[in-house]
Amino acid sequence: MVFFTVPVTYSQTTGTVRKMQKVPAGIYYPFFSGNNEKVNSFLMDETAVTNAEYLEFVKANPAWRKSQVKRIYADANYLRYWESDLEIGKNNRALLNSPVVYVSWFAAKAYCAWKNKKLPSVAQWEYAASAKPVNLKTGLTEYILAWNAQPNPKMLPNVKSTYKNIYSIYDMHGLIWEWTSDFNSYTGSVDSKGNGQEEFNNFCGAGGANVKNKKDYASFLRYSYRGSLKGNYCIANLGFRCIKNL
Amino acid sequence: MFTKNNFFLLALLLSFSFYSCKSNTGQSTADNKIDTVLTGTVTAELTVAPEVPKPLTYTSPKRVKVELTCVEKVMELSDSTQYTFWTFGGHVPGQFIRVRQGDLVDFTLKNAPDSKNSHSIDLHAVIGPGGGAEATNTAPGQATHFEFRALHPGLYVYHCATAPVPLHIANGMYGLILVEPQGGMPKVDREYYLMQGEFYTKNKFEAKGLQEFDEEKAMAENPDYVLFNGRVRSATGAKALPAKVGETVRLYVGNGGPNLISSFHPIGQIFTKVYMEGGSEINTDVQTTLVPAGGAAIAEMKMHVPEVINLVDHSIFRAFNKGAIAQIKVTGEENPAIFRKVKQ
Ligand SMILES: [Cu+2]
Repeated sequence: MVFFTVPVTYSQTTGTVRKMQKVPAGIYYPFFSGNNEKVNSFLMDETAVTNAEYLEFVKANPAWRKSQVKRIYADANYLRYWESDLEIGKNNRALLNSPVVYVSWFAAKAYCAWKNKKLPSVAQWEYAASAKPVNLKTGLTEYILAWNAQPNPKMLPNVKSTYKNIYSIYDMHGLIWEWTSDFNSYTGSVDSKGNGQEEFNNFCGAGGANVKNKKDYASFLRYSYRGSLKGNYCIANLGFRCIKNL
Repeated sequence: MFTKNNFFLLALLLSFSFYSCKSNTGQSTADNKIDTVLTGTVTAELTVAPEVPKPLTYTSPKRVKVELTCVEKVMELSDSTQYTFWTFGGHVPGQFIRVRQGDLVDFTLKNAPDSKNSHSIDLHAVIGPGGGAEATNTAPGQATHFEFRALHPGLYVYHCATAPVPLHIANGMYGLILVEPQGGMPKVDREYYLMQGEFYTKNKFEAKGLQEFDEEKAMAENPDYVLFNGRVRSATGAKALPAKVGETVRLYVGNGGPNLISSFHPIGQIFTKVYMEGGSEINTDVQTTLVPAGGAAIAEMKMHVPEVINLVDHSIFRAFNKGAIAQIKVTGEENPAIFRKVKQ
């Protein structure tokens, strides 16, 4: 995948301020074998970006409205559950405080830039998402697998409806999947990586001799999911949150 | 994947190793000359088990369009027991695909928009990277596409190959594809599709309500359910597969696993013919045939007397306690020369 900049001029207004939480520096242990990565301390949105917040973004940035967006930046499913450019619609009013979904990687990246923020890298996202829950009864892996086994709900619940971790960040698992800046660099396709090693890890021998923990089915599902994405895909349960490097 | 020119070359190469012999030679029928010049496009008939698509009537290679959709949905594992199945086409096993040796299969894999996970497909009938898996890691709401040439005749398993593969298979992502030899399959009276697979749940066999997958039991290869066609009593009682005295019945039997090998046996019958492991070698007069995990067999029987034939995995606790029974109900005239109950 080629990452190129999206030609949008941003409005000066940046809307509601989403509270951010500090993620302390640490080490990210990649799921597929590789060198451990040092992660510097950064700030992360405490929740995923909501429909209400995203509405402010499209109001300020006409190029990202449903009727205006270019197909190379967002496929035909972009914001498909919104009634119109600037309306979520009567039936979906309950979703104002739920994560925005059916948004592309390009759109997510543009939103974060508008907020003077960025999308988290896989390393940053995974590192923050591995933090211990403070209010879950089951183990985290068990919790994620149970979520994976449920069909998508008709109405996506509000943000802060699942669990909070020790950094006071909400819903890292159990609500939606989230975009990362380099979503396909760990399970990259043969095309983008020029070799098949990651594919081997992913597909052969029922999921790879080289992974950190072969029993971590929840991570397998997440990395496979990321590996299936393209930048303009807009999907039912895929949203995002932003970060700021310190 | 293949260009026209490549195919002239392939046909040429294969023609050098032409043999007219039939079987017992250790010679694959794919080494025979395969006609590869396409003569039109057809859309494959896909069926839900126990139905099998009609025998193919065309006699030269076609471009065959096949489209499967990955669907995650809650269905019954038993009468009062539900499970979130991951499926090809909304059923376990997935839809049966029937093509002919030499066909170019134009394959589209869709993933339903409301799926939570990405899915892919590895068809064991494919010669190519991952059996199609590398070309088909498909996000929810998206589609992927590839082409393959059906070189070898036989009955092949297909399954999801997205990591973690064992979980996708354990949740029901498998099915069968039949590649008919160039001369077609011999005609029989009835054909049925049965596929064995195990399920691993947190609770015991037939516990009520929605069940969760149990990773520990799956790794210990200790299933709660061993089933034909994805449900307890999928083909028994009122849903037994019908047949009549005098008919020949052909079973296309697959085993999705994920772990167990099936000792497939018809109680009160003998297989007249078994295409062992779904390949070209035929065994005759078989009581029990092995169906490997990720493998298949084609088994035929001649119906001689009215009876209910219990088709079981003869690892017999699986049949008695874990659900591994399907039935053929044979109706028609008694034949005392073959079987009669003698009153004392
Ligand atoms: Cu799958």
